[in-house]
Amino acid sequence: MNERILVVDDEESLRLSLKFKLKSAGFDVDTAIDGEEALGKLKAKPADVVLLDINMPRMSGIEALTIIRQTYPQTEAIMLTGFADFSTAIECLKIGAKDYLVKPVDTTELVTRLRSLVRSRSTERALQEVHQEYLGFLSEELAEPLGKLGTILEQVSKLSGDAEKERKKLLTSASDLVSKLETKLGLVADAAKHAEEAGSSGDEGISPTQLTEKIREIRKGSAR
Amino acid sequence: MSPTEKKTIKYLYKFKFQDGREKKFEVVLDEATLELQRGDPNPKPEWTRLNYSQCENCPLPATVQYCPVAVSLAGLVEAFSDSVSYEAAEVTVETTQRTFFKKTTLQKGLSAIIGIYMSTSNCPVCDKLRPMTRFHLPFANSIETFFRSVSSYLTAQFLLMRRGETPDWELKGLQQIYKEVNTVNKGMTARLHQATEKDANINAVVILHSFGDGITYFIESGLTDIEPMFEVFLQNHDAANPGKP
Repeated sequence: MNERILVVDDEESLRLSLKFKLKSAGFDVDTAIDGEEALGKLKAKPADVVLLDINMPRMSGIEALTIIRQTYPQTEAIMLTGFADFSTAIECLKIGAKDYLVKPVDTTELVTRLRSLVRSRSTERALQEVHQEYLGFLSEELAEPLGKLGTILEQVSKLSGDAEKERKKLLTSASDLVSKLETKLGLVADAAKHAEEAGSSGDEGISPTQLTEKIREIRKGSAR
Repeated sequence: MSPTEKKTIKYLYKFKFQDGREKKFEVVLDEATLELQRGDPNPKPEWTRLNYSQCENCPLPATVQYCPVAVSLAGLVEAFSDSVSYEAAEVTVETTQRTFFKKTTLQKGLSAIIGIYMSTSNCPVCDKLRPMTRFHLPFANSIETFFRSVSSYLTAQFLLMRRGETPDWELKGLQQIYKEVNTVNKGMTARLHQATEKDANINAVVILHSFGDGITYFIESGLTDIEPMFEVFLQNHDAANPGKP
C-alpha cells in the first residue's frame, strides 16, 4: 500500500501541483484547503505525513500541527511556508514537525525527504514490533518457565526422604523445562547473531520485520 | 490620440480590504509589443540590482545594472510588504473591454498582476510568456491558465510552421519554458525575502511557480481530461480519415 500524504494549503494551484508531483512519485495523495478540513480528513482516514502550510485562514498551520501531534501521533508533519522565519521554524520543530521547508519547494527534494521520513517511520514501527515481541518472549517464554522451575525446586526441597519417585518426576519436569528454555534461547541468540553479522557486513541481512516474525515462530515453537 | 502616440493596453487593479483600505495599480502595455510601459522607481531599491540574488539561469550581461522584473515589481512589492497572503480582498480589474471582480485573497490578486509584470518587463526568460498577457484572465484557476498557456504555445508553433519551420506539437518546448521561468520565480522569491516583512508578495510568486510545476501534469493528464470537450473535432476527423488513428 502506498504511503498516504495529506497536502494542506489554502491555494488551489499549490495543492494541485503538489498532488500531481507526489502522485507521480508513487504516493497516495489527498488535499485539504485549511487546518480544519485537514483535521476532518485525518479523522476519516489517517495519513502517514501531512504537508502543512503555515499561513492559512481560519486555523493556522501551527494550530493544526499542535492538534495533529496530540490527536494523531502516528502522523508526521512537514511545514511549508512562503516566508522563512527562524523562530517559527524552531517553534514548529518543538511542537513536533519533522521538517520546515520554504516555498517554492523543490519537489524532487520534497519527494526525497518524504521517502526518507516514511522509511524511518516504518523502520521505527518495525523496531517497536521487535521490541514488543521480544518483551513477550521474555515475559512468557522465559519468566513463566522460570517461575515454574522455582515452584518445582521448592516442592523438591519439601519432599520427605522416602519420596524418591515423586522427586524424580519433579526433576524430570524441571529438566524438560530447562531444555526447552535452552532451545528457545539458542534460537533467539542465533537470530540476533545472524542479524548482527548481516548488519556489520553491510548486507541487507534480516529486517526488523523478519526478526519479529522469527521471534514469533520461536514462541510458537515452529522455528528451526 | 496623436499619430505618434503608442496604442496601449491597460489593466487597472483595485484592491479593497475589509478594513476599508484601498490600493490601485495600473499596468500599461504597448499594444503592439506587449512591453510594459513604466516609470522606474527613484531611487531603485538595493534588492532590484541584477547581481542581488541573481537567478541561476539569468542570461543578462553584467553590464545590466538592475533586474528588469525586480524594478517593475518594486512599487507593488513595497505597497504590500507588510501584508499577509490570505488577507481577504475585493479585487476589481478594469480593462478597456470589461471589468472583472472577485472576492479573493490578496495573494491571488497579487499573483495575477505580478504575472503580467514578469512576462512584460523584458526578462529574456519570462518573455516567452508575453503573448499570454494579451489575453490576460484575472483570477483564472489552474486549468484556465494551463489552457491559455498551451493555446498560446500552439499558436506560436502554428506560426512557425507557416514560416516553414519545424513546430513542436508535443509541447516539449513549453515544459522547458516553464522550467526556466520557474528558476526565475525561485530567484525572485529569494529577492523578495529581502524586500518584504510578510508573505503576500512571496506567496504570489509561489503561486506562479506552482503553475509552472503543474504544466507537465496538464500536458500528461489534464489534456486527456478535457478531451471529451473536443469530441466534435475528433469525430469529424474519424469520419474523414477512416482507418487512421
